[in-house]
Amino acid sequence: MSALLSVQEIRKAYREEEVLKGVSLELDKGTTKVVMGPSGTGKSTLLRCINYLTPPDAGRVWLDGEELTRRNLNRLREDIAFVFQDFNLFTHLRAIDNVRLGPRKIRGHSKKRADEIARRELERVGMSDKAQSYPAELSGGQQQRVSIARALAMEPKVILFDEPTSALDPELTGEVVAVMKLLASEGMTMLLVSHEVSFARSAADEIVFMEGGHIVEQGRPSELFANPQNPRTRRFLQMITDHHDPDTPDRLAGAAR
Amino acid sequence: MNEFLDFAAEHLPYILAGVPTTLALWAIAITFGFFFGLVLAWCRIYAPALPYWAATTYIEVFRGTPMLVQMLFIYLGLPEIGITLDPFSSAAVAIGLNTSAYQAEYFRGAIQSIPLGQMNAARSMGMTDLQGLIYVVLPQALRRVIPQWSNEAILELKFTSIAFAVGVTELTARAETIGFKTFRFFEIFLIVAAVYLVLTATVAQILQFVERRTAVPGLSLQSQ
Repeated sequence: MSALLSVQEIRKAYREEEVLKGVSLELDKGTTKVVMGPSGTGKSTLLRCINYLTPPDAGRVWLDGEELTRRNLNRLREDIAFVFQDFNLFTHLRAIDNVRLGPRKIRGHSKKRADEIARRELERVGMSDKAQSYPAELSGGQQQRVSIARALAMEPKVILFDEPTSALDPELTGEVVAVMKLLASEGMTMLLVSHEVSFARSAADEIVFMEGGHIVEQGRPSELFANPQNPRTRRFLQMITDHHDPDTPDRLAGAAR
Repeated sequence: MNEFLDFAAEHLPYILAGVPTTLALWAIAITFGFFFGLVLAWCRIYAPALPYWAATTYIEVFRGTPMLVQMLFIYLGLPEIGITLDPFSSAAVAIGLNTSAYQAEYFRGAIQSIPLGQMNAARSMGMTDLQGLIYVVLPQALRRVIPQWSNEAILELKFTSIAFAVGVTELTARAETIGFKTFRFFEIFLIVAAVYLVLTATVAQILQFVERRTAVPGLSLQSQ
């Protein structure tokens, strides 16, 4: 298995409703993939199934040739960082302590080493001057940057981003997108669910288009944006590039059928 | 008035000699209740069916029966099946078991008031549920629970007085002794009540101080 992250035939149903109908994808080391598609098509569920935050009903996940199981779950999760839509910074800890917790308690680094890592990662996301602030004292964009620093501090093999800018005001998305672009350019392996067209266009190696629990189409952003083969992909891309509103195309597409 | 002060001065030393007993009883019970309450709360939130029902039953039994009955049962009832405890131990066990049931429910409420995303963030870093509880959820939940927990701490401080029923010579027992010796129940119970008031007020102040010192923006109840 050459891919760093390999996902095979993931299925997930909530009650009767099957949200993921057998989704497979592979992510090579140092590459960035963006999963796009109308809301309610299982993109976030897919991401949460990959690290078993939501246990999948069926399917398998490999990280670096090792299959994820109940037994090695916590160890492999250390290498699969997760960035949440609503940040989920630890409320009781200052920014620096949020970033330091993983290296210190999970990775088991010395106090001094954990501190170095935390400072380095806060610097990387441009949040050094807010190291002593509590999450509640930071803007949404700042919180998300700290949470990216927290993910980086685990020195993971791959980072999963679950709609990292969706909870942010438009004027705050820029600073988070800039950090993600930086990481992509530095060769971090990243899998994102995102509607950030500008990021997908310029930083993604591949776009995966999902609808109705399936992967409908995937390809390089230049090809997919310029010449989408699937009519649903075309309609969706047209909508988000026109309106930058991910919810609209879903409703319109439904009405058009 | 002078007469009252003379009376107080004469008997206060004997009364105050009961303070260490009362405080020791309280400290042992409340500390045991704290840790056992956390275990019970864990069972009620995270554990599978069997420990969940065991914890639930325990809490209902100890909340649903009088503490005095529990204490008398331990002191007078248990010896019949070969478990004999001295008065102080009987009282400490009874109050500790009782308060653990109440504290468990306060802890459960506080833990469940912490958004699930906090635990998910901990899990996504590779923490076990226990690590997530220790490093992430509890530090937040314990801050939130301080007001209710203060209530429980003060309540149990006063509840140590029923230990006099099994023969512990704590504050209330000493007041009663002097009362029967002097037949000045009015004065002596006023005095002992004042001693309790000083103790509870001190505990309340300390806990308020702890609450202020541990307050965190976005988490403490005061900062809203």
